[in-house]
Amino acid sequence: MKINVVKKVLQANDIVARKNREAFKAAGILALNFISSPGSGKTTLLEKTIPALLPERKSIVLVGDLQTTRDAERLAPRALQATQINTGMSCHLYANQIAESLECLSLTAGDFLFIENVGNMVCPGEFDLGENLKVILLSIPEGDDKVAKYPTIFRAADLVLLTKCDLMQALKFDVNLVKDDIAKLNANVKLLPISSQSGEGMEEWLGWLQEKRVEAIGKQSKFFTE
Amino acid sequence: MHEMSIAESLMDQIIDIAETNHMESVAEVELETGHLRQVIPEVMREAFLAVTQGTIADGAKLIINEVEPLAACRQCRREFTPQIDDFLCPQCRQADVDILKGDEIILKSVVGN
Ligand SMILES: Nc1nc2c(ncn2[C@@H]2O[C@H](COP(=O)(O)OP(=O)(O)O)[C@@H](O)[C@H]2O)c(=O)[nH]1
Ligand SMILES: [Mg+2]
Ligand SMILES: [Zn+2]
Repeated sequence: MKINVVKKVLQANDIVARKNREAFKAAGILALNFISSPGSGKTTLLEKTIPALLPERKSIVLVGDLQTTRDAERLAPRALQATQINTGMSCHLYANQIAESLECLSLTAGDFLFIENVGNMVCPGEFDLGENLKVILLSIPEGDDKVAKYPTIFRAADLVLLTKCDLMQALKFDVNLVKDDIAKLNANVKLLPISSQSGEGMEEWLGWLQEKRVEAIGKQSKFFTE
Repeated sequence: MHEMSIAESLMDQIIDIAETNHMESVAEVELETGHLRQVIPEVMREAFLAVTQGTIADGAKLIINEVEPLAACRQCRREFTPQIDDFLCPQCRQADVDILKGDEIILKSVVGN
């Protein structure tokens, strides 16, 4: 027998993601999904961001890594709550891992939910977690040719942070190439060079967060399955 | 590399459909993949082989139909075929589009008995 289904393959994940998004909206918290290669500076940026938002804005963090609880330990001191999700062999977070973590979090006490995804530029783009915005980090040492190599994730971005921009000169990084490549993919994405070391771009980043905290609550981030 | 993640989700759906329809074995699975999702058929087949091993879909044939992309410019509504790394409208030279086709991964049918 032949059964015609016409079903989105990732539908099960999307259904849970939608529930997560509803929970974020009900709690009045803004959820951001941080996606980048390993080592591009996600945890370091969050270490700087979370205290800078205090005392007005409180943050909750969920960190996905294959192994260890190191990142959650790094972020715990200044966050309201910090939970590590070990994904084992999986190279990305699933919506149901977020849903499970939410059971032990009190979302209403927070203003921002920062989700640090597993270091990977491909798979996290496939799996909606229920976030309101996607922040993609590209660090200067990775090279100025990476947008064209991983176009799909940049197409889905709400903001692209060029991290470790203190190394821009030394590594002869061509920002205009990145700008042009992003412009071909998505006219609506903002590009911001930032350094957790020198502090460059930090003020603008915090401003962007505050602005989105007001306008993007409940918003559905771009992803490809709906 | 994302093919494995897709294959795992696909397998969950196959089991669901097989159970609902009281199938004892699955012989064929038809998948539609949008070109923009960059699913590589050979890699997808390998992943499918891995996830179906020892299940009711062991040895099932996987049919993959790739769907060509189609975008519509939000400014001038012109429809055009985008490239993976280039979504500029040929008229406005701006990448502000609705994707009409090519962004989906869909399970079309399951054959079994
Ligand atoms: N030069 C420089 N190094 C940085 C900066 N941010 C992070 N790093 C370094 O990059 C490495 C990886 O950072 P981490 O935050 O753990 O990256 P993650 O894997 O994306 O979470 C660490 O050795 C950091 O000290 C920065 O702004 N400038
Ligand atoms: Mg980290
Ligand atoms: Zn146009």
